[in-house]
Amino acid sequence: MTSKQPPRIATWMLKHFGSGANIDAVLGDLAEQYLQKDSAMWYWRQAMSAIPVSFFKEIRGHKRIAARALLTGWVMWILCGKSIFPLVSPFFFGAWTVMWMPVLGQVGLARPFYLIFTAFANALPLIVGAMCGWLVARFHRNQQTAVVLLFAGSILLMDLLLFGPFILNVKPAVAYHFVGPVAANVAASVLGILLGGGLLRYRSKTVSN
Amino acid sequence: MLLLALLRLGEGAYGVTIAQELEEQTGREVVIASVYATLERLQERGLVTSSLGDSTPERGGRAKRYFRITAAGTHEVRDARRALMNLWKGLPELKGEKA
Repeated sequence: MTSKQPPRIATWMLKHFGSGANIDAVLGDLAEQYLQKDSAMWYWRQAMSAIPVSFFKEIRGHKRIAARALLTGWVMWILCGKSIFPLVSPFFFGAWTVMWMPVLGQVGLARPFYLIFTAFANALPLIVGAMCGWLVARFHRNQQTAVVLLFAGSILLMDLLLFGPFILNVKPAVAYHFVGPVAANVAASVLGILLGGGLLRYRSKTVSN
Repeated sequence: MLLLALLRLGEGAYGVTIAQELEEQTGREVVIASVYATLERLQERGLVTSSLGDSTPERGGRAKRYFRITAAGTHEVRDARRALMNLWKGLPELKGEKA
C-alpha cells in the first residue's frame, strides 16, 4: 500500500454506510483531494462526517419512507417473536425469552447446554435481524442504506434501553458475567440487519441525470 | 454562499473545487458531504442543475458531478444580495467599515 492510497477502512465504511445518490461522487472527491492533502486524519474526518450527514439528509428528505421502513421492520421483528419462535420454543426454553433476555436462560445450565444455549441465543437474533433487514431493504430500494441503518439504529436503541438499566442496576460482579453475552446478542441483531439489508455488499449508488 | 461559489467557479464547479473555494473564502474546513447535501437541496428547489463528468484514475474510477447555477438560482442570489445590502444600511455603528 502506497502512502497516496486513502485509508482503506474509512473508504470501506463510507462505501457501505454512506447514503444517497452522490456518495460515489463524494468518494471520488475525497480520493482526489487526498492526493493533494496526504493526511489520513483529514480523510477519516471527512469520511466519518459524510456517513451521518448523508444519512440525515436522506431521512429528512424521505420522512414517510423512513417511517414506513421502521414500521415494516418492527412488524416483522414482532411477528417473528410471536409466530415463528414458539415453534422452536419447546426445545429452547422459550425462544422469545432468548431474544429478549439472552443471559437469564443460561443461569444454572451445565457446560454443553450452556454452549448450545449461547450459540442459539446469538444465532436467533442474527437470523431474525437478517430477515427483517432484507424485508426493509427489499421494499425501500431507493433509500436502502439510510432506512436499513435507521432500523438497525432503532433496534440498537431498544436493546440499550432494555438491557442498559438492568446491567447498571445489578452489582458489578454480576454485571461482569452479563455484559459479554448481552453485547454479543445485541451485536448479532445489528449484524443480522446489516447483512440482510445488503449493506455489507457494495453496489454503486450513482444516479445519472 | 454555495450559490456564490458556483457563480465564481462557472463551468468547472464540482465537489473538490467548490469545497476549496469555500475554504479559501471562509478559512474553515468544509465537509464535502455537507456541500453535496446542500447542493441536492438547492437542486430540488431548481436553483442548480448537475451532470456527471468523466471518471479518472486519481478518483478511483469515480465520475465527477458538475454543478451549475440556474437562472432561478442567479435570481435568488440577487434577491439575497439586495436583502443583505438593505440590512447592512440599517447598522449605523458599522458605517465606517467596508461591507
